[in-house]
Amino acid sequence: MAAAVMALAPTPNHAAGLSYEVQTWDVDRATTGALVEDHRTPLIQLQIEFPVGTWSPWARENHAQEAWDIQIYDSKGALRARLDNLAVGLSAYVGQRSSVVSLTCRKDDFKDVLALVREILANRDFDRAELSRQKKGRQLDWEASLKTPDFVLQQAVHRLMFARDDPRRRPYEKPEAMLTDVRKLAEVRDVIVRLPGRVIGFAGDLTRAEAGSWARDLLPPAADQPPPGLFPRMLPLSSRESRPPEQTFSLPRLTQVYFAYARESLVLADPDKPAQMIADHVLGGHFYSRLSEALRHKEGDTYATGISESGSELAPGVYQAGSYTKTANAAATDQKLRQVVKEFFERGITEKERATAAGYLVGRRVFGRQAPGQVLAIFFWEHWQGVPRGFLDQLAERAAAVSLADVNAFIRRFHDPAQFTMIKVAPGK
Amino acid sequence: MITGRILSAIGLLLGILSATLAIAQTTPNLIDEVLPNGLEVTILPDESHPVVATQVWYHVGAANETPKTRGFAHLFEHLMFGGTATHDKRDYWEHLRSYGGSCNGFTSWDQTVYVSEIPPAGLFGVLNLEEDRMVNLKLDQQNLDNEKRIVTEELRVGTENSPFDRLEVAMLKKVLGDHPYAVTPVGTKEDIVAANLDLARDFYKRYYRPKNAHLVIVGPVDGAATLDEVRRVFGPLPAEGETPPDPPSLFGWKTPEKVELSEDIPPIEAAVVGFLMPGPGDPDAYAIKLMNQLLAWSAVKPFEEELVRRRKKALFAETEAMVWRRGEGLAFISVSLPYRREKTAFRFIDETLARLGRMEWLTDKSLAAAKRTLLRSEQEARWYAAQRANRLGEARWNEGDTRAAFESTAMIEAVTRADVAAAFEKYVARGRPIRVYIRPKHVPLIVNLFGWLYPLVKR
Repeated sequence: MAAAVMALAPTPNHAAGLSYEVQTWDVDRATTGALVEDHRTPLIQLQIEFPVGTWSPWARENHAQEAWDIQIYDSKGALRARLDNLAVGLSAYVGQRSSVVSLTCRKDDFKDVLALVREILANRDFDRAELSRQKKGRQLDWEASLKTPDFVLQQAVHRLMFARDDPRRRPYEKPEAMLTDVRKLAEVRDVIVRLPGRVIGFAGDLTRAEAGSWARDLLPPAADQPPPGLFPRMLPLSSRESRPPEQTFSLPRLTQVYFAYARESLVLADPDKPAQMIADHVLGGHFYSRLSEALRHKEGDTYATGISESGSELAPGVYQAGSYTKTANAAATDQKLRQVVKEFFERGITEKERATAAGYLVGRRVFGRQAPGQVLAIFFWEHWQGVPRGFLDQLAERAAAVSLADVNAFIRRFHDPAQFTMIKVAPGK
Repeated sequence: MITGRILSAIGLLLGILSATLAIAQTTPNLIDEVLPNGLEVTILPDESHPVVATQVWYHVGAANETPKTRGFAHLFEHLMFGGTATHDKRDYWEHLRSYGGSCNGFTSWDQTVYVSEIPPAGLFGVLNLEEDRMVNLKLDQQNLDNEKRIVTEELRVGTENSPFDRLEVAMLKKVLGDHPYAVTPVGTKEDIVAANLDLARDFYKRYYRPKNAHLVIVGPVDGAATLDEVRRVFGPLPAEGETPPDPPSLFGWKTPEKVELSEDIPPIEAAVVGFLMPGPGDPDAYAIKLMNQLLAWSAVKPFEEELVRRRKKALFAETEAMVWRRGEGLAFISVSLPYRREKTAFRFIDETLARLGRMEWLTDKSLAAAKRTLLRSEQEARWYAAQRANRLGEARWNEGDTRAAFESTAMIEAVTRADVAAAFEKYVARGRPIRVYIRPKHVPLIVNLFGWLYPLVKR
């Protein structure tokens, strides 16, 4: 990648002189630097991301999550003690697409913090007792999850849609046995740190020259090649024909029934995505959406209802309209939820609804850019999705430009009730 | 992590975490005024924010309710979005939505706050809508009945259908007894059923008026022009409203010595030893804050280090700090497999607390680091207009003066080691402990029979 200053188009805002740019450069042949400057307060956010996440087959086979989570726990607790002494808020976690080290600290501590980060990323003295605790904790967490209706509902949805080995279903399946061999875990962690394609992101009170200098020797040299199986492998969704029109699961002691009216979602790059954004806003995206009017405001059937989508960055995922209500009201609410979607499908939206949704989606962008870390987070998201810089901003503008006829044509293709499955969690043994 | 779920029950996540963030530097352009009708107004102009945050703090919360009005503060959080004599209920949302803005309401034990974020061009519209619902709210039987149904569903999902939520509700009640903080702001189903229109109108008329309200505006606004507009919009309102009396302080409240709970949780047992302390505004408040930072919010938590890592007498351990306006709590939690006798679990906790009493965790270096951490948190708020607005509202209500938001940096820096040590001695070492023991309802037979082997196997 040629070294260049690449600017995100300045975000429209009403504060004179405030516009965020994301500057990027090549730190070395395998590492990119990114910077969002903001000199309002003497803080720096550092976010280092490595190109492997929980969706990667390699990550699963090699227990990347355990390896990454344990690295801040040395056997004497010295690393954590130094985090406290340097007043650093640090987290290390594995996301779906990347493994992350993220921290915020005061600028005058930054040099020492960087030294500590190097040590964390090189630590091989993993705390075995902590690993053992994490193993037990994972098991207990799993058992606790099975007692909560939200989890059981989403487990059912994800089992309906995704194949057993699809990484998007894995959070809802019993955790696999943890690897506790510290030597092997250290090796896995080292592979992650040396992956080509890593990104060092800075946000806050520093200049491009400072960021360039600090990024230079932060990480060890990258490997020439990544290991095979790094990129996420999504499996085909279950066929629509195989999905029953309805499924119900039980949990004891519930006083409500929980609903998910689900179908497969569009993939992020689908040409209909802009139209979907408008449609979703009208159907379930605000306090007086179609779903909220019918299920909450009209007769108080529920406290919450709306639309959600997940797992659709690389391949179609899950799209669902959800709600809950007291058990005695379940049948009526079920019917209302279906009826809302049916009428939406049959009649579409009005021009007034379209225009309001468009204004909201475009106007909303500035609220997600109040802090440099937010802008950096958008940069990272777009980077890992492989979309051009500014994609999310432009997606909102593309949504605003979709005509009413095109939105309604999309609704006719997508919101057919015949394509949805109703999944419920109800009281029972 | 399972401890997180237990902690959320113990830590009482219903809006109690203290965001004691200071505005990092003095701002000479802060406007702080009380209108003739009693409405308090704070405006912090700052061009560096892209949006304006507004908050209207009504100084009434769940702790101010009577047995007949229990749940009302939260019910009003809903009702206040119900339309007025001059605006349809959708108008507030439509105004904000047209700018991409947002709004919400939050109810805690001590206050109810209505918040919005909007570009400056939409601010004056928000002010008009806030004024309108302050005095013209449409309170009728239909609105009330519908919101009662909605709140009841919210109550079910938040307090009935997860074992951890049920645990939280039960613990509050058993530990705090008759204290106004003992019932969650959402109330009970019986309370909601009993809510009637006359009581609701009376509650509204008493507490949702200028004399019990504080309007906060932070963002890229012209301070003088905004104040003029506030005066124009809110000034004509009559000087009505009252602030309810403070609930009793938590510190010194008579609590049971021991509480036992049982719930359908995974097979672990938790022993908790808690201590009550005075709240924000007390002379010891900043020493307590630093003590809590060192004990509860650091990466190395002394209690966990001693009990779990060094002595290996518990599977997990945690220290949790809880903050209300009228008191704070500090809880030391030990989690084990259900083989240990309760008496032993508490003995280990007491021994660990005695060890903490040697104050090895409190050094000049650790105190300096804790101060830097708190100051870093304050500085992070600098980026968000809403967080700064919240801090201003909180400073006024919890500490008596908006300017406390600017002074906390100095207050934190002034705390000495002796102050923190004295706070620990007074509130923990010599404090009156509250003991809570939590058991799972169902324990697998194999754990019952052989669970005691676990620490031996894992050593």
